Amino acid sequence: MAEPAETVLEAGNLVKHYPLTRGVVLRKQVGAVKAVDGVDFRLGRGETLGIVGESGCGKSTVAKMLVNLERPTAGSIRYKGEDITRLSGRALKAVRRNIQMVFQDPYTSLNPRMTVGDIVGEPYDIHPEVAPKGDRRRRVQELLDVVGLNPEHINRYPHQFSGGQRQRIGIARGLALRPEVIVADEPVSALDVSVQAQVINLMDRLQKEFDLAYVFIAHDLSIVRHISDRVGVMYLGRIVETGTDTEIYDHPTHPYTQALLSAVPVPDPEARERRERIILSGDVPSPTNVPSGCRFRTRCWKARERCAREVPVLAVPEPFAADGGPAAHPSACHFAAEKQVVP
Amino acid sequence: MLLEVRDLHVEFHTRDGVVKAVNGVSYGVEAGETLAVLGESGSGKSVTAQAVMGILDMPPGRITRGKVVFRGRDLLGLREDERRRVRGAEMAMIFQDALSSLNPVLTVGDQLGEMFTVHRGMSRRDARAKAVELMDRVRIPAAWERVRQYPHQFSGGMRQRIMIAMALALEPALIIADEPTTALDVTVQAQVMELLAELRREYRMGLVLITHDLGVVADVADRIAVMYAGRIVESAPVHDIYKAPAHPYTRGLLDSIPRLDHKGRELYAIKGLPPHLTHVPPGCAFHPRCPLARDVCRTQEPPLYEVSPTRGSACHFWTECLDG
Repeated sequence: MAEPAETVLEAGNLVKHYPLTRGVVLRKQVGAVKAVDGVDFRLGRGETLGIVGESGCGKSTVAKMLVNLERPTAGSIRYKGEDITRLSGRALKAVRRNIQMVFQDPYTSLNPRMTVGDIVGEPYDIHPEVAPKGDRRRRVQELLDVVGLNPEHINRYPHQFSGGQRQRIGIARGLALRPEVIVADEPVSALDVSVQAQVINLMDRLQKEFDLAYVFIAHDLSIVRHISDRVGVMYLGRIVETGTDTEIYDHPTHPYTQALLSAVPVPDPEARERRERIILSGDVPSPTNVPSGCRFRTRCWKARERCAREVPVLAVPEPFAADGGPAAHPSACHFAAEKQVVP
Repeated sequence: MLLEVRDLHVEFHTRDGVVKAVNGVSYGVEAGETLAVLGESGSGKSVTAQAVMGILDMPPGRITRGKVVFRGRDLLGLREDERRRVRGAEMAMIFQDALSSLNPVLTVGDQLGEMFTVHRGMSRRDARAKAVELMDRVRIPAAWERVRQYPHQFSGGMRQRIMIAMALALEPALIIADEPTTALDVTVQAQVMELLAELRREYRMGLVLITHDLGVVADVADRIAVMYAGRIVESAPVHDIYKAPAHPYTRGLLDSIPRLDHKGRELYAIKGLPPHLTHVPPGCAFHPRCPLARDVCRTQEPPLYEVSPTRGSACHFWTECLDG
């Protein structure tokens, strides 16, 4: 194992609740959508943290909080030790430069009335100190070149590009301010399979070239494994298991991770009979009405009485703590146990 | 053969010119068999299915050539009212987006029941009972209560079950499922695919599964037809294709899947982009992106060469591709 890299971003007990109110004149809060309910992680320089989970698990809300598009209800986000949730004005603006975002949908995240040059160069209007006015066109062309687009297309509009090329434009915009962290929310899920690999390779190359740290949010488990150093599995607003990619994919100890991995179709027809598939019953509960105790217990085949009573903490489960093997990574389950699910 | 599509050609007339969406597609499905039609957006996989179902918008669409033979009859020669009797009763379709495929102002019970009142002339009360039975069949809990609910009151996975129930209602011989689980989460996708496979076995239906997901194909298909730019470029039993693809496009798709032993290395990526269907490259449509391309590929369109009696590849150099 290499020395852990310097921490650039750290989330501490991050919470986002959206209040549910009733009444027009006398508004009162009747509940809350607990989109994110206590998430911790740390991200080292040049490292990739993958966050996986199904729709509604809160992974996109985490992304938005990291780039300050949403204010957390509670908790902290530290960029190099400084809590950015408490900053405002100029100090906040300075920090935001270093944390940029790449969005999922390359069709709606680019303004159709702006040229590519304006889109990629817009960050310089907000942070003019990064690039002097006369230098911008050259910089934008450089960026287009870096992401594999023709620099001469600087005056074209988004509709003149394909989906994969548009995602490259989005990435170029994210890179414009030379950030240290890029938060990518499902950056390839809207793309065709043959184009996904191109964009993943591009992100890989840029990471090495610019020493970027990624928070890579996706539902495609094989892509997350390919690109991530560490992975966090989210369920209903919390990280239920976290570890290195090998720990999570080859030695999962949380039943949800095991079910998730076993449900992923494997592109190998020979594996069809060999695999054990864990089919979960039912749907994810509503985040307005989170189950008591362990939030996964309503769909868990291992659930016992204790699971309804006690909230499991995200920590290395006791049986594995001593041996220090690959199963010794944080897992929020009272009955954590290893189970080989991927053939 | 339950369904046989022969040399189907479909065009769309648009302001930008003629879009040749389907250019000579042929495939067959036996009763009880699952055929996966694999392709990326714009490959013509959905348009082919719409032509088979008879739900293609015409105009702008036009079927310029070909036959769709279903249980011995050419469907393209039927009158619209005859066609309508086939649709639903003998072949049914499941769409990707259940929410926009269901009527939001009718209860699911009314929509399921309609299949029986319209096609079978049942009374409303009997049709309602049938609807509950079907919802039970696709394992929707508390069906007798939920039959009165509207589509928006169901989760995505449950709505897709209702779509499946509707397709199964009249026990058709063939089901065409167009990306049935693409909009669903993996754990729910697994539930729905399992259900679909089980019902298909039970009713011995033929299934045409349209998808872009090589994982789903490996899980459920017997045969696979890979489409590119409106043509079938490879067709084979599922085990053969994953062991050794006989077309560079198929090989490229399989190689671009992230795999364990490739971790940290660059993924294989097919260079370039799929063509615009108004300007399909001459010769082999894949040649601008193909690592094996030579002069002949630029000028001569490859026919579907016979690789084995059950297998075909539209590549001049399929032997090379097969050898890796």
